[in-house]
Amino acid sequence: MSDKKIETTTPVELSSAPETTSGKRVLGVVPGKPSSGERKVITSDDSVMVWPHLLVRHAVAAMATALVVMVIAVFFDAPLRDVANPQNTPNPEKAPWYFAALQELLARFPPLVAGVLVPGSIIMGLMALPYIDNSRFIKPRNRKVAVTTFATFIVIWIALTLIGFMFRGPNWGWVWPWQEWHGEL
Amino acid sequence: MSLDENDQETVVVTDDEQTLQSDEDLIDRVRNTTVGKSIIRSPRRITPRDRAAGHWASFLLHIYPVKIRKEELGFRYSWYLGVISTVLLGSLILSGLYLMFFYVPSPANAYANIQTIQNDVPFGQYVRNVHRWSAHLMVFAVAAHMARVFFRGGYKAPRQFNWVIGVVLLVLTLLLSFTGYLLPWDQLAFWAVTVGTEMAGYVPIIGDEVKEVLLGGPTVDSSTLLRFYVLHVAVLPSAIVFVLMIHLWRWRKDAMFDQEREDADE
Repeated sequence: MSDKKIETTTPVELSSAPETTSGKRVLGVVPGKPSSGERKVITSDDSVMVWPHLLVRHAVAAMATALVVMVIAVFFDAPLRDVANPQNTPNPEKAPWYFAALQELLARFPPLVAGVLVPGSIIMGLMALPYIDNSRFIKPRNRKVAVTTFATFIVIWIALTLIGFMFRGPNWGWVWPWQEWHGEL
Repeated sequence: MSLDENDQETVVVTDDEQTLQSDEDLIDRVRNTTVGKSIIRSPRRITPRDRAAGHWASFLLHIYPVKIRKEELGFRYSWYLGVISTVLLGSLILSGLYLMFFYVPSPANAYANIQTIQNDVPFGQYVRNVHRWSAHLMVFAVAAHMARVFFRGGYKAPRQFNWVIGVVLLVLTLLLSFTGYLLPWDQLAFWAVTVGTEMAGYVPIIGDEVKEVLLGGPTVDSSTLLRFYVLHVAVLPSAIVFVLMIHLWRWRKDAMFDQEREDADE
């Protein structure tokens, strides 16, 4: 406790001589506030200590993730097909699922569009996004155009991915996933 | 205890502090043993200023900011997708290191190595499963992280460039997953990569050259496997860890402060 702090408060006068306990002497009792400062209600914009508040949550999230991976790994084996054979092309030929949307586009548009322009402009567009949508509005309801556009792209992309992954069979023809399954992870 | 009166510490004790002190007695007693002192070398940090200093000085905590806005704590803010992606990356590095002990990247060995891993290596099948499913989940988690950051406006000033770095991380994640896809050298791997790399050939003018650099020849063969292996176990992991460090460093700098905003208050 600094001298300055004591000067600014008005100690209640003690009637008798100061009491001494274990090497410390009570000089006065300050009414009202706790000595560590005023308590206040923390709002969402106030900051809190990362330890323990954030680290505990991160630890739980990390352990939950590890648990999910371990459980999946115990119950589902990674696929392993026959050894690679350049002479034997499977039908359909499928790219990994995260490229299924691009593969679906390739079946519909010229390769230059689907294979180069679309992926190229997606990456460039994503990188440019913060500089295009540069308003100072943050809440989703204050930036409806950006949110709607982005959501539309996501819906289209998920739809294309699902079609390419599950609904395409031999010769990239349409199949129903509950009749023929051609998705590979 | 007989101290000179001038040496006595002057304190103002409130009820609050007295209860606090008795709660801490046990921890302090553990700390004050010879073993306790050797493990925890700093005194108990009580005041916020003191705790912040302790956080600041800790090597393990240095990737985190000392304080964070309360809003960022909850599930609704981030869905913890950044943590989840990072944990999956850690799981991939650990399981991948184990698999590297038993794998030779050549068409003559690769497939048989995977069979050995699955049938003979202790926990081989399990570790391969962890690696495979972590990889798929990481692609998903990173993409979802990006979507979540978009909808809460996390790319707005002053955080624009960290979004750009995040897009780089997404691309690196996809490349890591794709290069790893070839390594088992089974039909699935071979033809998925054949289809995927055909896209490189569509680049105007230099398409064939790009494809040739990627594959080490006109088709997927032994040099492709070696190239993808080197990219998968050395080049891309180093790159993603490096870029991730910049991503986290910038997050750490920004996390304490609210963004510049013009939203009307509710």
